[in-house]
Amino acid sequence: MTGARRAQGDKLTETEAIERAKQGDGEAFKVLYDLHKRRVYSLCLRMTGNTASAEDLTQEAFLQLFRKISTFRGESAFSTWLHRMSVNVVLMQLRKKGLPIVPLDEATEGEEEGQVKKEPGAPDERLAGSIDRLHLQRAVDELPPGYRTIFVLHDVEGYEHNEIADLVGCSIGNSKSQLHKARIKLRELLRMNRAEKAGKR
Amino acid sequence: MNCGEFERVLPEFLEGEHTREQQAHFDSCSACANLRADLDFISSQAKLLVASEEPRPAVWDALEARLRDEGLIRLPEFVTPKVSIFSRWRTAWLVPVAAALVIAAGIKLYHPAGAGDPAPISKQHGSNPTVAAVAPVSHEDQVLLNTVATRVPAQRARYRADLESANSFIQDAEQSIKDDPNDIYTQQMLINAYAQKQMLYDLAVDRSEQ
Repeated sequence: MTGARRAQGDKLTETEAIERAKQGDGEAFKVLYDLHKRRVYSLCLRMTGNTASAEDLTQEAFLQLFRKISTFRGESAFSTWLHRMSVNVVLMQLRKKGLPIVPLDEATEGEEEGQVKKEPGAPDERLAGSIDRLHLQRAVDELPPGYRTIFVLHDVEGYEHNEIADLVGCSIGNSKSQLHKARIKLRELLRMNRAEKAGKR
Repeated sequence: MNCGEFERVLPEFLEGEHTREQQAHFDSCSACANLRADLDFISSQAKLLVASEEPRPAVWDALEARLRDEGLIRLPEFVTPKVSIFSRWRTAWLVPVAAALVIAAGIKLYHPAGAGDPAPISKQHGSNPTVAAVAPVSHEDQVLLNTVATRVPAQRARYRADLESANSFIQDAEQSIKDDPNDIYTQQMLINAYAQKQMLYDLAVDRSEQ
Protein backbone atom coordinates (compact mmCIF):
# COMPACT_ATOMS: atom_id res chain seq x y z
CA MET A 1 0.00 0.00 0.00
CA THR A 2 1.31 3.42 -0.81
CA GLY A 3 0.55 6.87 0.42
CA ALA A 4 -0.67 7.79 -3.01
CA ARG A 5 -3.32 5.10 -2.99
CA ARG A 6 -6.70 6.41 -4.00
CA ALA A 7 -9.81 5.45 -2.16
CA GLN A 8 -12.71 4.04 -4.13
CA GLY A 9 -12.46 6.45 -6.96
CA ASP A 10 -13.01 9.54 -4.85
CA LYS A 11 -10.72 12.45 -4.23
CA LEU A 12 -8.70 11.58 -1.17
CA THR A 13 -5.42 9.74 -1.22
CA GLU A 14 -4.43 7.81 1.86
CA THR A 15 -1.90 10.50 2.77
CA GLU A 16 -4.50 13.23 2.43
CA ALA A 17 -6.99 11.20 4.42
CA ILE A 18 -4.48 10.70 7.23
CA GLU A 19 -3.82 14.43 7.44
CA ARG A 20 -7.51 15.25 7.42
CA ALA A 21 -8.29 12.53 9.95
CA LYS A 22 -5.80 14.18 12.28
CA GLN A 23 -8.07 17.23 12.14
CA GLY A 24 -11.11 15.13 13.01
CA ASP A 25 -12.57 14.93 9.52
CA GLY A 26 -15.27 12.23 9.54
CA GLU A 27 -15.05 11.66 5.80
CA ALA A 28 -11.34 11.01 6.09
CA PHE A 29 -11.93 8.46 8.84
CA LYS A 30 -14.34 6.65 6.54
CA VAL A 31 -11.84 6.69 3.69
CA LEU A 32 -9.16 5.13 5.88
CA TYR A 33 -11.63 2.61 7.22
CA ASP A 34 -12.69 1.59 3.73
CA LEU A 35 -9.10 1.24 2.61
CA HIS A 36 -8.10 -1.08 5.43
CA LYS A 37 -11.24 -2.73 6.76
CA ARG A 38 -10.84 -5.99 4.85
CA ARG A 39 -7.30 -6.56 5.98
CA VAL A 40 -8.04 -5.75 9.61
CA TYR A 41 -11.26 -7.73 9.69
CA SER A 42 -9.66 -10.74 8.04
CA LEU A 43 -6.82 -10.66 10.53
CA CYS A 44 -9.29 -10.56 13.43
CA LEU A 45 -11.37 -13.32 11.89
CA ARG A 46 -8.39 -15.58 11.31
CA MET A 47 -7.08 -15.10 14.80
CA THR A 48 -10.37 -15.56 16.61
CA GLY A 49 -12.26 -17.87 14.25
CA ASN A 50 -15.46 -16.05 15.19
CA THR A 51 -17.28 -13.43 13.11
CA ALA A 52 -18.89 -11.60 16.04
CA SER A 53 -15.58 -11.30 17.87
CA ALA A 54 -13.86 -10.28 14.66
CA GLU A 55 -16.32 -7.44 14.14
CA ASP A 56 -15.94 -6.22 17.69
CA LEU A 57 -12.17 -6.33 17.41
CA THR A 58 -12.21 -4.58 14.04
CA GLN A 59 -14.16 -1.76 15.59
CA GLU A 60 -11.80 -1.64 18.55
CA ALA A 61 -8.71 -1.64 16.36
CA PHE A 62 -9.95 1.28 14.27
CA LEU A 63 -11.09 3.14 17.35
CA GLN A 64 -7.60 2.88 18.79
CA LEU A 65 -6.16 3.91 15.46
CA PHE A 66 -8.27 7.04 15.28
CA ARG A 67 -7.53 7.91 18.88
CA LYS A 68 -3.83 7.79 18.14
CA ILE A 69 -3.74 9.00 14.58
CA SER A 70 -2.42 12.40 15.58
CA THR A 71 0.77 10.65 16.73
CA PHE A 72 1.35 9.00 13.36
CA ARG A 73 4.44 10.61 11.88
CA GLY A 74 4.92 8.39 8.86
CA GLU A 75 8.12 6.68 9.99
CA SER A 76 6.55 3.40 8.91
CA ALA A 77 3.83 2.64 6.38
CA PHE A 78 0.40 3.48 7.69
CA SER A 79 -0.84 -0.02 6.91
CA THR A 80 2.03 -1.50 8.94
CA TRP A 81 1.23 0.76 11.85
CA LEU A 82 -2.47 -0.09 11.71
CA HIS A 83 -1.81 -3.78 11.28
CA ARG A 84 0.44 -3.99 14.27
CA MET A 85 -2.10 -2.12 16.33
CA SER A 86 -4.78 -4.57 15.22
CA VAL A 87 -2.64 -7.54 16.16
CA ASN A 88 -2.12 -6.05 19.60
CA VAL A 89 -5.85 -5.49 20.02
CA VAL A 90 -6.56 -9.12 19.17
CA LEU A 91 -3.79 -10.45 21.39
CA MET A 92 -5.01 -8.33 24.27
CA GLN A 93 -8.51 -9.71 23.79
CA LEU A 94 -7.23 -13.29 23.71
CA ARG A 95 -5.34 -12.67 26.93
CA LYS A 96 -8.43 -11.17 28.55
CA LYS A 97 -10.37 -14.30 27.66
CA GLY A 98 -7.63 -16.42 29.18
CA LEU A 99 -6.85 -18.09 25.87
CA PRO A 100 -3.24 -19.12 25.33
CA ILE A 101 -1.33 -16.76 23.06
CA VAL A 102 1.53 -19.18 22.82
CA PRO A 103 0.70 -22.84 23.30
CA LEU A 104 2.37 -24.81 26.02
CA ASP A 105 5.13 -26.99 24.71
CA GLU A 106 2.96 -30.05 24.57
CA ALA A 107 3.22 -32.63 21.82
CA THR A 108 0.68 -32.27 19.05
CA GLU A 109 -2.47 -34.01 20.17
CA GLY A 110 -2.56 -37.70 19.34
CA GLU A 111 1.00 -37.72 18.15
CA GLU A 112 3.27 -40.36 19.51
CA GLU A 113 6.92 -39.87 20.06
CA GLY A 114 9.07 -41.39 17.40
CA GLN A 115 6.75 -41.71 14.47
CA VAL A 116 4.95 -39.55 11.93
CA LYS A 117 1.26 -39.74 12.56
CA LYS A 118 -0.74 -41.44 9.84
CA GLU A 119 -4.50 -41.25 9.74
CA PRO A 120 -6.29 -44.57 9.34
CA GLY A 121 -7.31 -45.15 5.79
CA ALA A 122 -5.52 -42.02 4.54
CA PRO A 123 -3.20 -42.81 1.69
CA ASP A 124 0.25 -41.31 1.72
CA GLU A 125 -0.56 -39.02 -1.16
CA ARG A 126 0.21 -35.34 -0.86
CA LEU A 127 -2.30 -32.65 -0.02
CA ALA A 128 -1.61 -30.54 -3.08
CA GLY A 129 -4.54 -30.72 -5.46
CA SER A 130 -6.91 -32.21 -2.92
CA ILE A 131 -7.64 -29.18 -0.70
CA ASP A 132 -8.77 -25.68 -1.47
CA ARG A 133 -8.85 -22.41 0.40
CA LEU A 134 -12.11 -23.23 2.16
CA HIS A 135 -10.74 -26.49 3.51
CA LEU A 136 -7.68 -24.69 4.75
CA GLN A 137 -9.74 -21.95 6.35
CA ARG A 138 -11.88 -24.48 8.17
CA ALA A 139 -8.80 -26.29 9.41
CA VAL A 140 -7.23 -23.02 10.61
CA ASP A 141 -10.43 -22.29 12.53
CA GLU A 142 -10.12 -25.68 14.21
CA LEU A 143 -6.58 -25.05 15.41
CA PRO A 144 -6.13 -24.50 19.13
CA PRO A 145 -5.89 -20.72 19.75
CA GLY A 146 -2.17 -20.69 20.54
CA TYR A 147 -1.22 -22.52 17.38
CA ARG A 148 -3.63 -20.42 15.39
CA THR A 149 -2.07 -17.19 16.58
CA ILE A 150 1.43 -18.14 15.51
CA PHE A 151 0.30 -19.70 12.23
CA VAL A 152 -1.83 -16.71 11.23
CA LEU A 153 0.84 -14.19 12.12
CA HIS A 154 3.58 -16.00 10.24
CA ASP A 155 2.07 -17.87 7.32
CA VAL A 156 -1.00 -15.72 6.63
CA GLU A 157 0.09 -12.25 7.65
CA GLY A 158 3.76 -12.58 6.84
CA TYR A 159 5.36 -11.59 10.13
CA GLU A 160 8.90 -12.81 10.81
CA HIS A 161 9.68 -14.89 13.85
CA ASN A 162 11.50 -12.04 15.58
CA GLU A 163 8.44 -9.81 15.12
CA ILE A 164 6.12 -12.52 16.43
CA ALA A 165 8.36 -13.06 19.43
CA ASP A 166 8.15 -9.35 20.12
CA LEU A 167 4.38 -9.19 19.63
CA VAL A 168 3.34 -12.19 21.67
CA GLY A 169 6.18 -12.18 24.18
CA CYS A 170 7.93 -15.46 23.47
CA SER A 171 11.33 -16.49 22.22
CA ILE A 172 12.15 -16.74 18.53
CA GLY A 173 12.83 -20.44 18.98
CA ASN A 174 9.43 -20.90 20.57
CA SER A 175 7.77 -19.12 17.69
CA LYS A 176 9.50 -21.39 15.18
CA SER A 177 8.68 -24.48 17.15
CA GLN A 178 5.00 -23.58 17.54
CA LEU A 179 4.67 -22.69 13.89
CA HIS A 180 5.98 -26.09 12.95
CA LYS A 181 3.55 -27.80 15.29
CA ALA A 182 0.70 -25.70 13.96
CA ARG A 183 1.50 -26.76 10.39
CA ILE A 184 1.71 -30.41 11.45
CA LYS A 185 -1.64 -30.09 13.19
CA LEU A 186 -3.15 -28.46 10.14
CA ARG A 187 -1.87 -31.23 7.93
CA GLU A 188 -3.45 -33.75 10.25
CA LEU A 189 -6.78 -31.90 10.15
CA LEU A 190 -6.69 -31.58 6.39
CA ARG A 191 -5.89 -35.24 5.86
CA MET A 192 -8.68 -36.26 8.19
CA ASN A 193 -11.02 -33.97 6.34
CA ARG A 194 -9.97 -35.51 3.04
CA ALA A 195 -10.42 -39.04 4.42
CA GLU A 196 -13.91 -38.18 5.68
CA LYS A 197 -14.83 -36.77 2.33
CA ALA A 198 -13.55 -39.86 0.55
CA GLY A 199 -15.49 -42.08 2.96
CA LYS A 200 -18.77 -40.37 2.07
CA ARG A 201 -18.39 -41.11 -1.60
CA MET B 1 17.14 -41.88 12.19
CA ASN B 2 13.41 -42.56 12.08
CA CYS B 3 10.52 -40.43 10.81
CA GLY B 4 9.64 -39.03 14.25
CA GLU B 5 13.17 -37.83 14.80
CA PHE B 6 13.24 -36.31 11.37
CA GLU B 7 9.97 -34.51 11.95
CA ARG B 8 11.36 -32.85 15.06
CA VAL B 9 14.36 -31.46 13.19
CA LEU B 10 12.33 -30.54 10.12
CA PRO B 11 12.14 -26.77 10.93
CA GLU B 12 15.94 -26.55 10.98
CA PHE B 13 16.16 -28.87 8.00
CA LEU B 14 13.95 -26.52 6.01
CA GLU B 15 16.28 -23.66 6.91
CA GLY B 16 19.19 -25.58 5.45
CA GLU B 17 20.67 -26.72 8.72
CA HIS B 18 20.96 -30.48 8.56
CA THR B 19 23.34 -33.37 8.94
CA ARG B 20 24.19 -35.98 6.33
CA GLU B 21 22.15 -38.49 8.29
CA GLN B 22 19.09 -36.28 8.14
CA GLN B 23 19.55 -35.66 4.45
CA ALA B 24 19.97 -39.38 3.82
CA HIS B 25 16.73 -40.12 5.66
CA PHE B 26 14.89 -37.46 3.75
CA ASP B 27 16.17 -38.74 0.41
CA SER B 28 15.10 -42.30 1.16
CA CYS B 29 11.75 -41.75 2.94
CA SER B 30 8.68 -40.99 0.87
CA ALA B 31 6.58 -40.28 3.99
CA CYS B 32 8.95 -37.53 5.12
CA ALA B 33 9.20 -36.16 1.59
CA ASN B 34 5.42 -35.99 1.50
CA LEU B 35 5.39 -34.34 4.90
CA ARG B 36 7.73 -31.63 3.74
CA ALA B 37 5.75 -31.12 0.54
CA ASP B 38 2.51 -30.85 2.50
CA LEU B 39 3.91 -28.31 4.96
CA ASP B 40 5.24 -26.24 2.07
CA PHE B 41 1.85 -26.47 0.40
CA ILE B 42 -0.01 -25.41 3.55
CA SER B 43 2.32 -22.49 4.01
CA SER B 44 1.93 -21.32 0.43
CA GLN B 45 -1.87 -21.69 0.49
CA ALA B 46 -2.09 -19.74 3.74
CA LYS B 47 -1.08 -16.57 1.94
CA LEU B 48 -4.30 -16.80 -0.05
CA LEU B 49 -6.31 -16.36 3.12
CA VAL B 50 -5.37 -12.71 3.50
CA ALA B 51 -8.15 -10.15 3.35
CA SER B 52 -10.88 -12.12 1.68
CA GLU B 53 -13.73 -11.05 3.94
CA GLU B 54 -15.37 -7.77 4.67
CA PRO B 55 -17.06 -6.62 7.88
CA ARG B 56 -20.77 -5.81 7.78
CA PRO B 57 -21.70 -2.13 7.30
CA ALA B 58 -22.97 -2.11 10.88
CA VAL B 59 -19.36 -2.18 12.05
CA TRP B 60 -18.68 1.23 10.55
CA ASP B 61 -21.97 2.59 11.87
CA ALA B 62 -21.07 1.54 15.39
CA LEU B 63 -17.53 2.83 15.01
CA GLU B 64 -18.69 6.18 13.69
CA ALA B 65 -21.09 6.55 16.61
CA ARG B 66 -18.26 5.92 19.04
CA LEU B 67 -15.99 8.36 17.23
CA ARG B 68 -18.67 11.01 17.55
CA ASP B 69 -19.32 10.16 21.19
CA GLU B 70 -15.66 10.65 21.94
CA GLY B 71 -15.54 13.88 19.98
CA LEU B 72 -12.95 12.50 17.58
CA ILE B 73 -14.98 13.44 14.52
CA ARG B 74 -15.19 17.18 14.04
CA LEU B 75 -17.04 19.25 11.56
CA PRO B 76 -14.97 20.17 8.52
CA GLU B 77 -12.42 22.89 9.17
CA PHE B 78 -13.23 26.30 7.87
CA VAL B 79 -10.95 26.69 4.95
CA THR B 80 -9.19 29.65 3.53
CA PRO B 81 -10.97 31.32 0.63
CA LYS B 82 -10.21 30.84 -3.06
CA VAL B 83 -8.10 27.78 -2.42
CA SER B 84 -10.71 25.36 -1.32
CA ILE B 85 -14.04 27.07 -1.47
CA PHE B 86 -14.77 25.71 -4.92
CA SER B 87 -13.80 22.19 -3.94
CA ARG B 88 -16.47 22.45 -1.29
CA TRP B 89 -18.92 23.82 -3.75
CA ARG B 90 -18.37 20.90 -6.06
CA THR B 91 -20.80 19.25 -3.70
CA ALA B 92 -23.69 20.66 -5.59
CA TRP B 93 -26.34 19.97 -3.02
CA LEU B 94 -24.60 22.19 -0.53
CA VAL B 95 -25.31 25.32 -2.54
CA PRO B 96 -29.10 25.36 -2.26
CA VAL B 97 -28.93 23.97 1.26
CA ALA B 98 -26.58 26.69 2.40
CA ALA B 99 -28.59 29.33 0.63
CA ALA B 100 -31.78 28.03 2.17
CA LEU B 101 -30.16 28.06 5.57
CA VAL B 102 -29.09 31.63 5.10
CA ILE B 103 -32.56 32.72 4.09
CA ALA B 104 -34.54 30.54 6.48
CA ALA B 105 -32.41 31.22 9.50
CA GLY B 106 -32.27 34.91 8.71
CA ILE B 107 -28.56 34.94 9.47
CA LYS B 108 -28.88 37.03 12.56
CA LEU B 109 -25.33 38.15 12.69
CA TYR B 110 -24.87 40.00 9.45
CA HIS B 111 -25.17 43.78 9.03
CA PRO B 112 -24.09 45.13 5.66
CA ALA B 113 -23.22 48.49 7.17
CA GLY B 114 -22.03 50.92 4.56
CA ALA B 115 -22.91 48.68 1.67
CA GLY B 116 -23.99 51.24 -0.82
CA ASP B 117 -24.55 48.77 -3.60
CA PRO B 118 -25.60 45.72 -1.70
CA ALA B 119 -25.27 42.27 -3.20
CA PRO B 120 -28.26 39.94 -3.06
CA ILE B 121 -27.17 38.40 0.21
CA SER B 122 -26.62 41.65 2.00
CA LYS B 123 -30.05 42.79 0.89
CA GLN B 124 -31.59 39.76 2.49
CA HIS B 125 -29.73 40.29 5.70
CA GLY B 126 -30.13 43.99 5.77
CA SER B 127 -33.87 43.51 5.86
CA ASN B 128 -33.70 41.47 9.03
CA PRO B 129 -34.40 43.73 11.99
CA THR B 130 -33.46 41.17 14.65
CA VAL B 131 -29.87 40.95 13.71
CA ALA B 132 -27.40 40.74 16.57
CA ALA B 133 -23.86 41.93 16.62
CA VAL B 134 -21.11 39.56 15.71
CA ALA B 135 -19.28 38.22 18.73
CA PRO B 136 -17.03 35.24 19.32
CA VAL B 137 -19.70 33.72 21.52
CA SER B 138 -23.14 35.32 21.25
CA HIS B 139 -26.19 34.59 23.39
CA GLU B 140 -27.39 32.00 20.86
CA ASP B 141 -23.97 30.43 20.87
CA GLN B 142 -24.05 30.24 24.63
CA VAL B 143 -27.35 28.38 24.37
CA LEU B 144 -25.65 25.91 22.07
CA LEU B 145 -22.77 25.50 24.48
CA ASN B 146 -25.22 24.96 27.32
CA THR B 147 -26.87 22.25 25.23
CA VAL B 148 -23.62 20.37 24.97
CA ALA B 149 -22.53 21.15 28.52
CA THR B 150 -23.16 17.63 29.72
CA ARG B 151 -20.86 16.04 27.17
CA VAL B 152 -17.31 14.97 27.75
CA PRO B 153 -14.87 17.88 28.17
CA ALA B 154 -13.04 17.19 24.93
CA GLN B 155 -16.28 17.31 23.01
CA ARG B 156 -17.40 20.54 24.67
CA ALA B 157 -14.08 22.11 23.89
CA ARG B 158 -14.40 20.94 20.32
CA TYR B 159 -17.84 22.54 19.97
CA ARG B 160 -16.55 25.81 21.40
CA ALA B 161 -13.52 25.79 19.14
CA ASP B 162 -15.64 25.04 16.07
CA LEU B 163 -18.10 27.74 17.01
CA GLU B 164 -15.43 30.36 17.54
CA SER B 165 -13.83 29.34 14.30
CA ALA B 166 -17.17 29.77 12.48
CA ASN B 167 -17.76 33.14 14.08
CA SER B 168 -14.36 34.53 13.23
CA PHE B 169 -14.76 33.23 9.70
CA ILE B 170 -18.07 35.03 9.46
CA GLN B 171 -16.50 38.22 10.80
CA ASP B 172 -13.75 38.05 8.21
CA ALA B 173 -16.24 37.44 5.42
CA GLU B 174 -18.43 40.33 6.53
CA GLN B 175 -15.47 42.64 6.66
CA SER B 176 -14.55 41.60 3.14
CA ILE B 177 -18.08 42.28 1.94
CA LYS B 178 -17.94 45.74 3.48
CA ASP B 179 -14.81 46.36 1.49
CA ASP B 180 -16.27 44.96 -1.70
CA PRO B 181 -20.03 44.29 -1.58
CA ASN B 182 -19.99 42.74 -5.06
CA ASP B 183 -17.36 40.14 -4.30
CA ILE B 184 -19.12 36.89 -5.17
CA TYR B 185 -16.39 34.76 -3.64
CA THR B 186 -16.85 36.36 -0.28
CA GLN B 187 -20.59 36.09 -0.48
CA GLN B 188 -20.26 32.39 -1.04
CA MET B 189 -17.80 32.12 1.80
CA LEU B 190 -20.28 33.82 4.06
CA ILE B 191 -23.03 31.44 3.04
CA ASN B 192 -20.68 28.57 3.62
CA ALA B 193 -19.73 29.81 7.06
CA TYR B 194 -23.34 30.17 8.10
CA ALA B 195 -24.08 26.73 6.75
CA GLN B 196 -21.26 25.33 8.83
CA LYS B 197 -22.56 27.10 11.87
CA GLN B 198 -26.04 25.83 11.18
CA MET B 199 -24.63 22.32 11.01
CA LEU B 200 -23.07 22.81 14.42
CA TYR B 201 -26.44 23.80 15.82
CA ASP B 202 -28.20 20.90 14.10
CA LEU B 203 -25.64 18.45 15.37
CA ALA B 204 -25.94 19.71 18.92
CA VAL B 205 -29.73 19.56 18.83
CA ASP B 206 -29.90 16.17 17.11
CA ARG B 207 -27.57 14.58 19.57
CA SER B 208 -29.14 16.15 22.59
CA GLU B 209 -32.46 14.63 21.52
CA GLN B 210 -31.03 11.10 21.26
